[in-house]
Amino acid sequence: MRRPALVLAFAILLAGCEVPSLGMPSPVSKEGNDIYSLWRGFIVASFVVGGIVVGLILYAAIRYRRRDDEVPSQNAYNIPIEIFYTVMPIVIVAGLFGFTVATQMKVTNPASSGQPALVVNVTGFQWGWRFELPEQHVTVEGAGEVTTPAIDVPVDRTVHFVLRTEDVNHAFWVPQFLEKRDLIQGIDNSIDITPTQVGEYGGKCAEFCGLDHWRMQFTIRVVTQGDFDAWVRSQPQSGR
Amino acid sequence: MTTLDERPIVVDEPDEPEHPNARGLLGFLTTTDHKRIGVAYMVTAFVFFLIGGALAEVIRVQLYSPENHVVDENTYNQLFTMHGSIMLFLFLGPFAFGLANYLVPLHIGARDMAFPRLNAMSYWFYLFGGITMVGSFFSADGAADFGWTGYAPLSEITHSPTLGGDLWIMALVLTGLSGVLTAVNIVSTVITMRAPGMTMFRMPVFTWNMLVTSVLVLIAFPVLTAAAAMLFADRHLGAHIFDPAGGGSPILWQHLFWFFGHPEVYILALPYFGVITEVIPVFSWRPVFGYAGIVFATLAIGSLSVGVWGHHMFTTGAAQLSYFAGLSMLIAIPTGVKYFNWIGTMWGGRIVYRVPMLFALAFLLTFLIGGISGVTLASAPIDFQAQDTYYVVAHMHYVLFGGSVFALYAAIYYWFPKFTGRFLDEKLGLVHLALTFVGFHLTFLVQFALGLEGMPRRVASYLPADNFTTLNRISSVGAFLLGASTLPFLWNVWRSIRRGEPAGDDSWESGQTLEWATSSPPPPENFDKPLPPIRSNRPVWDLHHPDSGEPRVAVAPRGTTAHQHSVHGEDDEEDEP
Repeated sequence: MRRPALVLAFAILLAGCEVPSLGMPSPVSKEGNDIYSLWRGFIVASFVVGGIVVGLILYAAIRYRRRDDEVPSQNAYNIPIEIFYTVMPIVIVAGLFGFTVATQMKVTNPASSGQPALVVNVTGFQWGWRFELPEQHVTVEGAGEVTTPAIDVPVDRTVHFVLRTEDVNHAFWVPQFLEKRDLIQGIDNSIDITPTQVGEYGGKCAEFCGLDHWRMQFTIRVVTQGDFDAWVRSQPQSGR
Repeated sequence: MTTLDERPIVVDEPDEPEHPNARGLLGFLTTTDHKRIGVAYMVTAFVFFLIGGALAEVIRVQLYSPENHVVDENTYNQLFTMHGSIMLFLFLGPFAFGLANYLVPLHIGARDMAFPRLNAMSYWFYLFGGITMVGSFFSADGAADFGWTGYAPLSEITHSPTLGGDLWIMALVLTGLSGVLTAVNIVSTVITMRAPGMTMFRMPVFTWNMLVTSVLVLIAFPVLTAAAAMLFADRHLGAHIFDPAGGGSPILWQHLFWFFGHPEVYILALPYFGVITEVIPVFSWRPVFGYAGIVFATLAIGSLSVGVWGHHMFTTGAAQLSYFAGLSMLIAIPTGVKYFNWIGTMWGGRIVYRVPMLFALAFLLTFLIGGISGVTLASAPIDFQAQDTYYVVAHMHYVLFGGSVFALYAAIYYWFPKFTGRFLDEKLGLVHLALTFVGFHLTFLVQFALGLEGMPRRVASYLPADNFTTLNRISSVGAFLLGASTLPFLWNVWRSIRRGEPAGDDSWESGQTLEWATSSPPPPENFDKPLPPIRSNRPVWDLHHPDSGEPRVAVAPRGTTAHQHSVHGEDDEEDEP
């Protein structure tokens, strides 16, 4: 029969080549790595399931095209097959759900890395950002392309971004961390990110917030602990 | 063939306020005929589709190049707000209601809807709601510009002081009221006006889906209307319900909006799933495979859809992630069941490739991507990256265009002979299909990648350094093709109404449901001839194939009375091999 052959063909195809990321950036954080492997699992499942369904559709569409005027079989039921194709999706979905919850636990409760997390208070406003590092007494604020705010954070240490807004809803998103969270008045929201690669990463507002929404950008520079300490010293102290 | 003397109508003759012979404008203004109202809905909705599509073309021109400023940010924000609002509130839902208006009474062998005048009133509320929404472009500061989701506090008066916002709210109230009244009408019609022998489990699947859709409308639309009224109270009566400055809760808007918004997605999809379930059996010369299964799948999708709104709010920090992820993924199961039913219907059939069937095939291939990408979005950690990006834009277009609009076109080609008595041209139909299919995938497939790479939705522009230019150009070229695809279609409709090939009663010669038992177009009260006996879910097929054997479908065997099998219908199905 055709179906096992199709499955086999897909298995060979998948084994033979790298799972495509379909545009998902290479992650640069611990949590991003977890999300990326979840994504790859979903891609494999999607291609296998989608491939089988497309195969069945095309096979039926071609094989059973009109060839003569004989009235075909009018059988409208096949209970074993119907049970099979109801149970199979349940099994697949259960697997995807398990994988999802496991990843979600890791991402939303990052294991303590031995050091206390670096706290950064992020405040969004129309149309810019303010970053405060309360322990380091540093505040950086900016808006638009000219004064895009930028902060340094140390590599391999969890950063706890506390997300607040002064006005409408915004969302804090660094695409290479593979995560975003919203800034909404009345909601205590935060995001924990453990960067694993030194570099400069652009971030932006993802929740539509009015006129200059698309210009609401910022930069996160992931640096070594030494460079981070030097950056903190170079900043004007805003402490209380 | 012996019980043909029974008239199908079971209700009292309603007073007819209309002028039965009025034609032209007077006829249109005064009609309570479900078929004329249905056509009015469909034509109006398609006009709104063209307007919404034109707005989308401007959006795609703007995004063709980085830092393009064909329109300024303010205008751009109005464009995407109105594009979404028009397509969701004025096009897809009302078009489905138009189809339902025309087809539900025919499908169940009734003379009209249960409440003909209420039906006319619903249409007029819809039309004026639509004019209110689109007309807001001509108000002093233009249309609403806070997105079709109208998130508070951006939609509060301090941040969006223009009149356009108020007109948008009023349009939601009017079209919402129209939807609720139509839903009441459809539910009443289906429950009370079925012809003798037309048990619930002999109803065409389209009509089943419209019943479930209508129940969803009754659940979801009042919430939206109430939320819109609350927003209006905030804006003009100092209510502070969603305004944090006065102790209000912005997140409440999201809960209310998505409690409406997710059932809404199924309100916009289920009728079109129903269309596909009508088209595939007729062109495959087969009964729908697993009729009971597909009906229960519809009921399951409808039930689940009211419990998954939180998956739109994974990133807010105010939604329980696992609960909403799990429930959302469950919807994949009944949707998968439908897919296998559709394939099972084609399986072993004798598929005749006319344009409606080709659109149905295009639907199967395209909506699949929409469904699968939906499962990825139901996974909260993946949604953390995909939320509010072009990935979501691509997904929703794969569902609502690749799904619903492809099926909508299938519906037009399929029922046009019934509506007008003439076929649409096949060659122009093929050109239309090819342009739509290629244009659609070119436009939206790349948007999945754009979103994951970092392009947020609703951005008026992007920077050259973002590296989004190539994919955006592909997308824009696709959108221009997609826009062009409507031209052969409109020409086809224009020409075929006048000079199309005449269609018989059973236009496709393999019709199954009762609309194919009456003339094309049907007479004012639908059935001048007696109805064929209704002994399965496809009475017209049974009539034309008396010797093709007992139809093996989920209704009681011949001989039992209507009352018995409405009770035992589900049990019988278990006994069938």
